[in-house]
Amino acid sequence: MINNEEITTNGSIFPLGWLDSLRVFFIEVGEISRFTLRFFKEVFIPRYEFKALVKQSYIIGYKSLPLIAITGLIIGLVLTIQARPTMAQFGAESWIPSMVSISIIREMGPVMVAVIFAGKVGSGIGAELASMKVTEQIDAMEVSGINPFKYLVVTRVMATTLMLPMLVTAADAISLVGAYVGVNLKGSISFHLFFLQVFSNLSFSDVIPAIIKTFFFGFSIGIVSCYKGYNANRGTEGVGEAANSAVVIGSLLVFIIDMIAVQLTSLIY
Amino acid sequence: MKKTTGNNLRLGLFVTVTVILFIVGIYYIGDRQQLFSHTFHVSGVFKNIDGLQVGSNVRYSGINVGVVGSIQQTTDSSVRVDMLINEGTRKFIKTDACAIIGSDGLMGNKIISLIPGISSAKTICNHDEVKTIRPISMDDIMLKVKTTADNAADISADLAVIMDNITQGKGTIGKLFMDSSFATNLDKTLINIKQGSGGFKRNMDAASHNFLLRGFLKKKHKDDK
Repeated sequence: MINNEEITTNGSIFPLGWLDSLRVFFIEVGEISRFTLRFFKEVFIPRYEFKALVKQSYIIGYKSLPLIAITGLIIGLVLTIQARPTMAQFGAESWIPSMVSISIIREMGPVMVAVIFAGKVGSGIGAELASMKVTEQIDAMEVSGINPFKYLVVTRVMATTLMLPMLVTAADAISLVGAYVGVNLKGSISFHLFFLQVFSNLSFSDVIPAIIKTFFFGFSIGIVSCYKGYNANRGTEGVGEAANSAVVIGSLLVFIIDMIAVQLTSLIY
Repeated sequence: MKKTTGNNLRLGLFVTVTVILFIVGIYYIGDRQQLFSHTFHVSGVFKNIDGLQVGSNVRYSGINVGVVGSIQQTTDSSVRVDMLINEGTRKFIKTDACAIIGSDGLMGNKIISLIPGISSAKTICNHDEVKTIRPISMDDIMLKVKTTADNAADISADLAVIMDNITQGKGTIGKLFMDSSFATNLDKTLINIKQGSGGFKRNMDAASHNFLLRGFLKKKHKDDK
């Protein structure tokens, strides 16, 4: 991994110029691409680490559920409370369930969950793999005949790719419950009517693209975090840096992928 | 080992619940679009579909009974709209039902409303065509509003001219309001009429006592009774 700083022979650190930074950026993009290609090569070649995949899915998916659930509930609640005054001005309070559900399922749910996921899981993977790297545990695995890439990277990337869509689905459902509570804070609507109104304006073109893009969010968060951790250096300082850059780049990639997904969806539908 | 089994159980539960949530969501959305229910096709030909889209609701007596399946331009002035209607409502829809394009509320989406026909007519069949009613478009309403506004402008211009004439004392009403000599003359005329009618009454009283007219007046009084 290359940093935006260079260490001189006497040990002092100075920042690189913009041209060098650009060079470093392109080298890093090339390295991540190579890392991604290696992932696709390794993922189809036996032996498959199913036990490690299940373990990682548990850690990454199930253990993130409480945080995602609380966030989802708050998103639904806040979105409804914020929407109410404006909708009431137009006499369109009955449209709140439809409006909030479309906002949550198309955009707010996937993006908010992915950003939180990048913060929690991305930093965790980055720090874990980086500490394994700097303490030479990865080298030890190689020596003992275990493929560390397959065991550590493939399982984690697979787990993030598979678990994020599930977390988003759960968060969407919980957000809608939050929205129901929000609607009932100042109004009164039955649970049945609320969900009828929620589904009355949803179509496959709202749900399917939103779920498909979460696979890409999960994959990008996983691959960046693993790359940063797997290629960490400079001792304990590198561990913190790997965790930090995993979160920053992972979150940024979520928004970039989201922008591309929105453009593609509007082209198709 | 026990801990691993417990973790796997929790993970399995989480995966199953989210997959079920996803499937239920997909089912509800698909069900609304009549994907999982028995449907039959009914079509209607419109001159203007006014922004109706595939997937828009079809209502019969105010109940959602189906969706718009496809929209095809058939000629330069006609559009064929194919509707997927729930099989369960077929027995209520007669061959003389009419389709009209409306909107769901003031700001809502476009919908097709099927207006029931007479109950003695035959039940509609699959792939039948229903009569359509041309909807009142926003353009028509705006055109009528424009005509009304033009008329109102003409009327207000005429009223301004009339008011101007009145304030200048032109015409009968103008003189009545603005000319003081006219009012004085009118007052004098009324006094003259009052004096004339008083004199006429006295003459008539004198005539009623005259022997030449007494017979005639007695007969008149008798006829009135």
